[in-house]
Amino acid sequence: MPAMEAVVVEGIRRVFTPRKREPVTALDSVSLTIPVGEVHGLLGPNGAGKTTLVKILSTVLLPTEGRALVCGHDVVTETKAVRPLIGIVFGGERGLYTRLSARQNLEYWGALYRLSGPQIKERTAMLLDRVGLTDRADQRVEEFSRGMKQRLHLARGLMGDARVLFLDEPTTGMDPLAAREFRKLVGDLQDEGRTILLTTHDMVEAETVCDRVSLIDRGRILATETPRSLGSLISRFQRIDIEDAPDALLAQLKLVAGVSSVSPQADGSIRIEVNEDGATALVLRHLVDAGITSVKTSLPSLEEVYVQMIGERGLVV
Amino acid sequence: MRAFLAGARIQLRFLRSYPDSLIPFFTAPMFTVIFLMIFRHAGRPDLTAYATVAPVFIALWWLALFNAGWSIQIERWNGTIEMLVAAPSSFAAVILGRITTTTMIGVVSFAETWLVARLLFGATVRIHHLWAFVATIVITLATMAGTSVAMSSLFVLTRNAVTFSNAASYPFYILGGILVPVSVLPHWIRPVSSIVFLSWSADLLRAALRSTPMHDVGFRLGMVALLGVCGFALGAWAMRVILVRVRTSGELGTM
Ligand SMILES: Nc1ncnc2c1ncn2[C@@H]1O[C@H](COP(=O)(O)OP(=O)(O)OP(=O)(O)O)[C@@H](O)[C@H]1O
Ligand SMILES: [Mg+2]
Repeated sequence: MPAMEAVVVEGIRRVFTPRKREPVTALDSVSLTIPVGEVHGLLGPNGAGKTTLVKILSTVLLPTEGRALVCGHDVVTETKAVRPLIGIVFGGERGLYTRLSARQNLEYWGALYRLSGPQIKERTAMLLDRVGLTDRADQRVEEFSRGMKQRLHLARGLMGDARVLFLDEPTTGMDPLAAREFRKLVGDLQDEGRTILLTTHDMVEAETVCDRVSLIDRGRILATETPRSLGSLISRFQRIDIEDAPDALLAQLKLVAGVSSVSPQADGSIRIEVNEDGATALVLRHLVDAGITSVKTSLPSLEEVYVQMIGERGLVV
Repeated sequence: MRAFLAGARIQLRFLRSYPDSLIPFFTAPMFTVIFLMIFRHAGRPDLTAYATVAPVFIALWWLALFNAGWSIQIERWNGTIEMLVAAPSSFAAVILGRITTTTMIGVVSFAETWLVARLLFGATVRIHHLWAFVATIVITLATMAGTSVAMSSLFVLTRNAVTFSNAASYPFYILGGILVPVSVLPHWIRPVSSIVFLSWSADLLRAALRSTPMHDVGFRLGMVALLGVCGFALGAWAMRVILVRVRTSGELGTM
């Protein structure tokens, strides 16, 4: 029976012990289960441990404690079984042979993923096309822009026809159109039955492509939810935004039972937050009675959840 | 096997884009000139065989070792070493494919050095035992490549593999009796020399250039091959151990 869970992480802990310095705990009792076919997002501040987790799952790094399975195979004891099943994209400037052309890079990895000659040719052409690099295929990678390298990274990760893809910040450096294409590509990959674990700092990206996201901070998973329901973790209630209102009305709204705050926003609009069931309806009635109909209700966005849960810590890591 | 071929193929492409890694083709004939001048000056034309075989061995071994270091270094520079380790193919086999390719190209330096000996010094190199000669070269090349894998596993541990690999070549020149016969080395060092395959290879090659009959060719070739197989086995094992080590320490991807 094929494993229904693409990724299972059980109590993973990873400690780095750099020479002559204090040990760093990059991951601490992390557990996570990703079913086959899910696109899972890993969100968290710099140094949270996202890359470390991805590296452990892709057999590059060993966990200090705990166990992880990919398609039912242990990433420590069954690397031979795991490696053909996974595709890795570690984003950034590095990870490509800069003096070779895009095509040569892909062909090489195709061979290392044990494809036959004709398969290599076919997949290379198909993937170059898929990431929009066909015209640049025979140019050296060192001449590529950052976004072009990023696309090539992606094609490289797909060379082996992996069942589970690990994408570490796959869209950094991509222009908005390329990023949009990327999101479409992720959808296609999902339709093909692949499982994707992706780290990102782009909340909109996470909201649009991920079935579920995990918030991770200082090596611990804070929450794993769908992007929508994650909002309810910081507020079960909707917020009401209005463009403008007389001060008297605002003062009156503040007195409505269940209204927690009435605050002007940077863009000149006014946000009313409630913390009791039924309060939204009361507020809306007041607004309509006062003749204000341009009203928007919403749940907190993923970015707000993120900021709230991670806390505003500026540039401290 | 596929990993080996993939390594060979990428190496040809690398050599084209990093031509500096073929520097021994440039230095080998220089060594010939130096050695021949010294031997002539000392009045020992009988040592011509040493002067023409030594530069080739230096070139070949340097190429093998340098490429062992350089293959690892290139992976670090490009930040691809982690992905290479995570790929389904055997890391050691890919590296072996790369090193073998360069070493095979290195055979060209035979032609080079002999041409120089001929043109500048009028020294003709005559191969008296052709089959022994060819067999020695083929087996030596394979052995060099195999042994280099053992070395490259050590290079995974160092941050500057290329510098290290440069330095690592010299002891082998001495222990391998490449230019100076092992018989002039101190007694205590001779046993060490006999486990360096280069000493067997160099002896065989020089013998193949002499008109006197050769002895125990099969046994001596067997020794070269045996040392090569041991070298590769040791290398593949060390590579596995070291990869586990760097996966534990997290130093695989660091530059
Ligand atoms: N090779 C290493 N040696 C020592 N410490 C390391 C090593 N790799 C990562 N760390 C430490 O582990 C912690 C987690 O790092 P990691 O790269 O996983 O963070 P991240 O969530 O991917 O951050 P970012 O968003 O910046 O990519 C950090 O404190 C980092 O300094
Ligand atoms: Mg990271």
